[in-house]
Amino acid sequence: MTYAIDSLRAPLLVTWQLTRDCDLCCLHCCTDSAPGKRLRDELDADEAMRVVRGMVDVGVPYVMLCGGEPLVVPHFMDVAEALGSAGIQLKIETNGQRLDARLVERLARLPIRSIQVSLDGDTQAVYERQRPGASLAKAHAACRAIRDAQLPLEITFAPSKLNLHEASAVIERARSLGAFRFNTGRLMRVGTAARTWGKLAPSKEQYRAFRAELALQERVLEPAMQFCYLPFSIEDGLRAALEQPPATLLVLPNGWVKVAAAIPEICADLRRETFVDAWRAYREAWRCGPVRAAIRAAIEDESLHGRANAWQVLQVIQV
Amino acid sequence: MSESKTTVDVASADAVTMAPPPKLVWETPKIEDVSEQVMAQPYIRFT
Repeated sequence: MTYAIDSLRAPLLVTWQLTRDCDLCCLHCCTDSAPGKRLRDELDADEAMRVVRGMVDVGVPYVMLCGGEPLVVPHFMDVAEALGSAGIQLKIETNGQRLDARLVERLARLPIRSIQVSLDGDTQAVYERQRPGASLAKAHAACRAIRDAQLPLEITFAPSKLNLHEASAVIERARSLGAFRFNTGRLMRVGTAARTWGKLAPSKEQYRAFRAELALQERVLEPAMQFCYLPFSIEDGLRAALEQPPATLLVLPNGWVKVAAAIPEICADLRRETFVDAWRAYREAWRCGPVRAAIRAAIEDESLHGRANAWQVLQVIQV
Repeated sequence: MSESKTTVDVASADAVTMAPPPKLVWETPKIEDVSEQVMAQPYIRFT
């Protein structure tokens, strides 16, 4: 079998979790992020810039900077500006708590395809139940600053038992804020969410109603606002990936490269390997029996996703 | 968060599920190749 990724010199998208640290401790977080959760071995500024050069040299067209909260990283703007000045298109994922007009003004000079702000509720009470200590007013202000700078705003909504009753209001809020895309899907049972699953996980009936609402709103609001909610579940995404692995690389805060978000396998280490080697290792990983077995197991048993952040380094032996 | 080491010998019959791909002409991806779905990045949701 030939995969499309085998014909590509570089991934189409690199998702780069710059840090595990965050200024919030959201109940649904898939990366176990919270204040003080920075990993001891995260890439420093020099190492991050070396990774940037690797991406530029190999021709990566699109990079998403996320975390944790990427804006708590001291070298965030250096990384964004180095990527952007090399012509790499960018997406920034943020909780919007510290994205002010001054920062937006700097970002507006870069080739930004999306700044994604999380709005997991439309009232402070609901939003804060899922995002303890967060300010919905600050998140809305960040959205307005993004639009005032004529940057593309994307809204993401993590559905849970706590907030699904406000989903329609958040969609309407996204529209009124001028978002070009509304991004959602089934809650991932990874990271903090795996531990809070009983408190958060919506019922089948709630998901059915949510999907019906998304389909309805999509018909009404597209093309002015796109809806992205497919593949709806991790399992659907993994099933498709077994057939055709995505041309996307997930880089962790310490420079390790993960094969897929829902499984723990690590296929490369950007501290020790070049970006070209990491891309090769990723492609090989999708042909690796144990990796494919782990993916099949994750498709069959959602509870296994809870182990996805207990990273396991694959040592692929070349002969 | 923990690390463990798993050694996988890709040369062994058990480890490899399919043959390596034929040699292909490599293409440098362009932003036009990135679909809207990949742009939206549905692989890691909800940090």
